[in-house]
Amino acid sequence: MTALLDKAPLGVAVRIARINWDAMSHDEGRRLREFGLMEGCEVTPLHRGSIFSRDPLALTIGRMKVIIRARQAAVIEVEPTA
Amino acid sequence: MTGAIPSIALVGNPNAGKSSLFNALTGARQKIANYPGVTVERKAGHSSFADGRPISLIDLPGTYSLTPSSLDEAVTRDVILGQREGEKRPDALVVVVDAANLDNHLCFALELLALDLPTVIALNMVDLAERDGLTLDAARLSKELGVPVVPTVAVRKRGLTELLAAVDAAILAHPVRGAAAPAEANDESLHARARTLARAAILQETPVRRWTQRVDNIVLHPVAGLVILLALMFIMFQAVYAAAEAPADFLEGGIGVIQQWVVATFPDNFLRGLVVEGLLAGVGAVVVFLPQILILFLFILLLEASGYMTRAAFLMDGLMGKVGLSGRGFIPLLSSFACAVPGIMATRAIPDEKDRLTTILIAPLMTCSARLPVYALIIAAFIPNQTVGGSPVGLQGLVLFGLYLSGIVGALLVAVVLRRTVAKGAAAGFMMEMPRYQMPRLRDIAIGLWQRAWIFLRRAGTIIAMTTVVLWLLLTFPQAPEGESQVEYSIAGRIASGLEVVVKPIGFNHDIALALIPAMAAREVAVSAMATANAIDAGDDEEAMAQSLGDRLQGKWSIATALAFLAWFVFAPQCISTIAITRRETNGWKWPMFMVGYLFALAYAAAGITYWTAVAFGLG
Repeated sequence: MTALLDKAPLGVAVRIARINWDAMSHDEGRRLREFGLMEGCEVTPLHRGSIFSRDPLALTIGRMKVIIRARQAAVIEVEPTA
Repeated sequence: MTGAIPSIALVGNPNAGKSSLFNALTGARQKIANYPGVTVERKAGHSSFADGRPISLIDLPGTYSLTPSSLDEAVTRDVILGQREGEKRPDALVVVVDAANLDNHLCFALELLALDLPTVIALNMVDLAERDGLTLDAARLSKELGVPVVPTVAVRKRGLTELLAAVDAAILAHPVRGAAAPAEANDESLHARARTLARAAILQETPVRRWTQRVDNIVLHPVAGLVILLALMFIMFQAVYAAAEAPADFLEGGIGVIQQWVVATFPDNFLRGLVVEGLLAGVGAVVVFLPQILILFLFILLLEASGYMTRAAFLMDGLMGKVGLSGRGFIPLLSSFACAVPGIMATRAIPDEKDRLTTILIAPLMTCSARLPVYALIIAAFIPNQTVGGSPVGLQGLVLFGLYLSGIVGALLVAVVLRRTVAKGAAAGFMMEMPRYQMPRLRDIAIGLWQRAWIFLRRAGTIIAMTTVVLWLLLTFPQAPEGESQVEYSIAGRIASGLEVVVKPIGFNHDIALALIPAMAAREVAVSAMATANAIDAGDDEEAMAQSLGDRLQGKWSIATALAFLAWFVFAPQCISTIAITRRETNGWKWPMFMVGYLFALAYAAAGITYWTAVAFGLG
């Protein structure tokens, strides 16, 4: 039932099931965790890129809205909330 | 601790309002804006406790943890851990947290509390949290954390007295112990604890207001968002012309009146020449562009204060990504519309080194406000003041927009080349927090405009006036014999004649050759130099003196030459301050020299191509 965050439909809350930390640099991983993006948390993808490309992805986590790269979203597995 | 003035560091997540709090406490006017990464340097200021004992406050760049990702964040870590050379460790910390985002901001707060320094939490922006439907229990949070928590609204100066009193008490109760090393933070448990604390502190939580999301749905729309961004920029440049015309005419008229008064009142001597032809004509020609510069800044300040800047970065990221940069780089580049110097400094917030270097190297291609007088003068002289095809769109504003756009497109193309050659590296990342929207405060905008006006006038009074006076001297001596042109006979004129040989192929005349070298000091000097040369040419001829510089140039230059001159300034070899800041930020002469070289080459080529094309179309 898991999907990848970069393909997840916009506006629908999902839970992060697994993040492939090995697919990104140490610093990138740390910044994601600093944003609070880690296994078990809920996020809602909201906006995706412009006509130039599907990158980046804006999502809410808690009361925060953050921008990440589609490349990073592609290694984040998500599942439907409850 | 007796005797020494206690130093208190303001620390916290990006965009938590540290600089606003710093300004409120010290009366300083540090730049504040609504996007993460505004502050990239440590800044110190003075304040005092209620009973008058002085304290020293340190404003630090925002960061998410004590492990830095970029140069600005490293500064924060070094200061807090007492590892910065020549600076003692702070005696106390004020941890600034955004009341509406406790989940996240408490993580860093917990990491800082583990350092065991006297600490007070400033629960900042409680007003915005309330707007978002959050009611918080500061006392409960204080109990859970074991340190004082003071609700503040920095921009309204609320909670400041209580905050300082709490800091005073914290220092007394808890003198600084040895240098505790930062606890190795286990992300997950830290976040879990932060979430628990945040939940405990939230008394009431009504659903988040939806209007900000609705706004984002429009301004971040893949198509509509870009149209809005372009439209905003377009309106900005139209406004620069439309709204500045009356005040600029007024300033120009005023300077003309003073000139004629000086000529009529004082005998013709050396000093009168210096004042009329050098200072009034030269510096005056630059000062008349003050209204235009202020209108440009009004737009930039509004975009920065509202929170739109990060949205623009989001929209531009796709395009920036294609040239090997990231949306993160868009913010320094947009700041470079004001001036490349703060723009280049702002690149410190870019984590990737090659990404940062490329952004520094292309920053001078963003049309800075010093170029505005040059553009404005030439456009007013050579582009008819009419609307385009019956629409309300002004042709002059459209050309100005085009010049800015050429700078941007040029910068992107240069970036593509640099990222494939000298600044090769992995694709840059882009991770950034998007701030909530805020209504820009009139007072902050007014202060920002006043600061810009002051900087501009100070430049006009110092570097521009000095360069112009030196140029006037070089233009006045030696005295030309009867029948010869003074401007061509003078020292400066002869130097210009030498340079003219080099720039003639790209359509430049003697006027331009004369202006190019002094314009290196400050770009506006291109205008003052031409104004001074023309004033000397005009001599005592009142009619010629009353004629505006634009009108005089119109009589002397072909349109092809004017267009080539504009093209030159799109890529204009940058001013000395830009070279100096690039040297400082890249630690050496290699990159500034590279930058000067490639910009000269581009400027020459662009001016040449423009000139030859225009001549081919019969505009020569």
